[in-house]
Amino acid sequence: MKTIKRLALSLGLGLGVPAALMIGTTGALANSDEDKFAAYRDALGDENPGEFFIDDGKKFFHEKRGPKNENLEKCDFGLGPGVLKGAYAQLPRYFADTGKVETLEGRILGCMVKLQGFKEEDVLKMHYQNAGEEDSRPSELAAITSYIAAQSNGLKFDVKLEHAAEKNAYEMGKKMFWRRQGWMDLSCADCHANTQGKLLRGVELPDMTAPKTAGKVMTAFPAYVLKDANVRTQWWRNERCVLAMRLPWLKTGSELDAALTLYMSIFASQSDEKIQVPGIKPRA
Amino acid sequence: MKTSMTTVGLTLCLALGAAHAQDKAPDWGDKISEEAFLKAAKESFYLNKPEEFERLNDPSLAICNATHNRPDDAQVKEILGREQAAIVYPKDKALFGDWQKGKKWVEDVHGGRIGYPGFLDADDPHHANGGNCYACHAIDPNFPQAGNMGPPLTNYGKFRPKTEAMIKYTYDKVYNAKASNPCSLMPRYGNPRLLTPEQVADIVAFLLDPASPVNQPPVNAAK
Ligand code: HEC
Ligand code: HEC
Repeated sequence: MKTIKRLALSLGLGLGVPAALMIGTTGALANSDEDKFAAYRDALGDENPGEFFIDDGKKFFHEKRGPKNENLEKCDFGLGPGVLKGAYAQLPRYFADTGKVETLEGRILGCMVKLQGFKEEDVLKMHYQNAGEEDSRPSELAAITSYIAAQSNGLKFDVKLEHAAEKNAYEMGKKMFWRRQGWMDLSCADCHANTQGKLLRGVELPDMTAPKTAGKVMTAFPAYVLKDANVRTQWWRNERCVLAMRLPWLKTGSELDAALTLYMSIFASQSDEKIQVPGIKPRA
Repeated sequence: MKTSMTTVGLTLCLALGAAHAQDKAPDWGDKISEEAFLKAAKESFYLNKPEEFERLNDPSLAICNATHNRPDDAQVKEILGREQAAIVYPKDKALFGDWQKGKKWVEDVHGGRIGYPGFLDADDPHHANGGNCYACHAIDPNFPQAGNMGPPLTNYGKFRPKTEAMIKYTYDKVYNAKASNPCSLMPRYGNPRLLTPEQVADIVAFLLDPASPVNQPPVNAAK
C-alpha cells in the first residue's frame, strides 16, 4: 500500500513543468504534457492514489480526536447527524444551527471546532499552506472532505434553492462570479462563461455556466492532482483562480467561498453527471 | 496619427464585441448591492495588510460592473480622466526601452499573487514582475503558447511607423489600458500594480523595434 503511494508521488512530481510556462497559478501544459498525463494514468491503471486520502479521512472522521476526545459522528451534513450517504450531493445548503449556507468543507471545519475542540486556525494552517504547486503535504480537512464526498459517489448533484438564505447565496455567488475585480481586472465569467473558442495561454477554458461542463468539473472534486501528488478540494480550486486574479486569500467555507460553490453547483445540478471522487487531474 | 486612430477604433470594436457576447447572462448578480457584497468580502478574505482589500474595490471597475461594461458618456469621461491621470512616465521620459528586456517582462508570470502566511506560491515582492501577456495575446511568433482574448500583436511594429504618437499610444495602452478604453478587458499594469514605467518602455520596444522577434519572420522550427 505504501509502495503504491510512493510510486504515485514520484509520478506526480515527475510532471513538473517549467514555471515560466504556467499561467498565473492555473497551469498551462503543452500538448506533450497532456500525452504524458495519459501515459501516467495508464501506468496507474485502476489505482487512484486519492483513495489513500479517503482511507485517512475515514480514520480521522471516526476516531476520537482533539481536545474534547470526540469523533465527528454527531456532525450533521444536512440529512441528520452522522448521515453521510448522499449528503455531499446536496451541499452547499443552509444550516439552521449556524444560520449560514455552508460547503462540505466549511461544515466539517465547524464540527471539528464545535465537537472536537480543535482551533479553527490550527485546522486551516496546513489546508492553506499546502495549497501551492507540487506540495504533497496532506491536509486533514481535505482528507475528511474526500471521505464524505465519496459517500455520494454515483449520485447527481441535487443542490436546491429553498431557504431564503440559499437564494441569497446564489445571487451572491453570481455576483462573485461576474464581478470584475482583483489586479487583473477580470471576473470568473471573463474566463469561464461563453468560452467557445477562447484560449488562455494556449489552454481551453471550461464554461462553468454550461451545465454539462460544470457537472463534469464539480463531480470530480475532491480530486487527486498528479502534479501535486495531493488531493484537492473545491475550495482549493476556487482559491487557485482567485490567486491568479490577484485577489486576496479566499477563506475556506467563508460566505463568498460557499456562495461561489453554490452558484456553480446549481449548474452542475442541471446536468446528469454523477459524483465520482476522487477525480484525477493532471495539474491545477 | 491616422494609424493610431484606426487602431483605437478597432480595439474599441473588439472590446465591445466581447461585451455583447457576455450579455447572454441575464444579470451579474445585480440584486446584491455593492455594499452587501463588500461586507461579505470583508469576512471572506484573509488580509495580510488592510490595503489588500483595495483590490476588491476599484472605482473604475465599479462603473464597468454596474453597467455590464457599457458606461454612459459621463461615466466614460470619468473613467478616462481618472485613468489617464494615473499614467506615470519614466524619469528620463524615454518611452522606448530595451526590447530584449521587454521580451522577458512579456513572458513572465511572476507578480502580485498574495496569500496566507506560509503559502509558498505567493510572489516575492523583491523580484521583478512580469505581464503574462501571452495569456491573452499572440506576440513573438516563436513563443509556443498564446491566448486569444486580446488581438494578436505579432508583427505589431511591422506596419506601424515608429512615430512618437505610436510609441506613446503603445506605452499608454500597456501602462493603463483603461485610459483609452474605459472597460477594456486588458488589465492595468502600471504602478502600483505589476510593471514599472521602465519595464513598460522595454515592452514598447519589444512591440515596435524592427529588430525585435515580434517583427521578424519566425525562426524556422526545422533543426
Ligand atoms: C484568467 C482566466 C481565469 C479566470 C479569471 C478564472 N479562471 Fe478558473 N481556470 C482558468 C484556467 C486556465 C483553468 C484551468 C483549465 C484546465 O486546466 O483545463 C481554470 C480552472 C478552473 C476550474 C476547474 C476546471 C477543471 O476542469 O477542473 C474551476 C472550477 C474554476 N477555474 C473556477 C474559477 C472561478 C470560480 C473563478 C473566479 C473566482 C475563476 N475560475 C477565474 C482560468 C481562469
Ligand atoms: C486579459 C487579457 C489581456 C492581457 C493579459 C493583456 N491584454 Fe493586451 N489587450 C487585450 C484586449 C482585449 C485588447 C483590445 C482592447 C483594448 O485595446 O482595450 C488588448 C489590446 C492591447 C494592445 C493594443 C493593440 C492595438 O492593436 O492597438 C496592446 C499593445 C496590448 N494589448 C499589449 C499587451 C501587453 C504588452 C500585455 C502584457 C503586459 C497585455 N496586452 C496583456 C487583452 C489583454
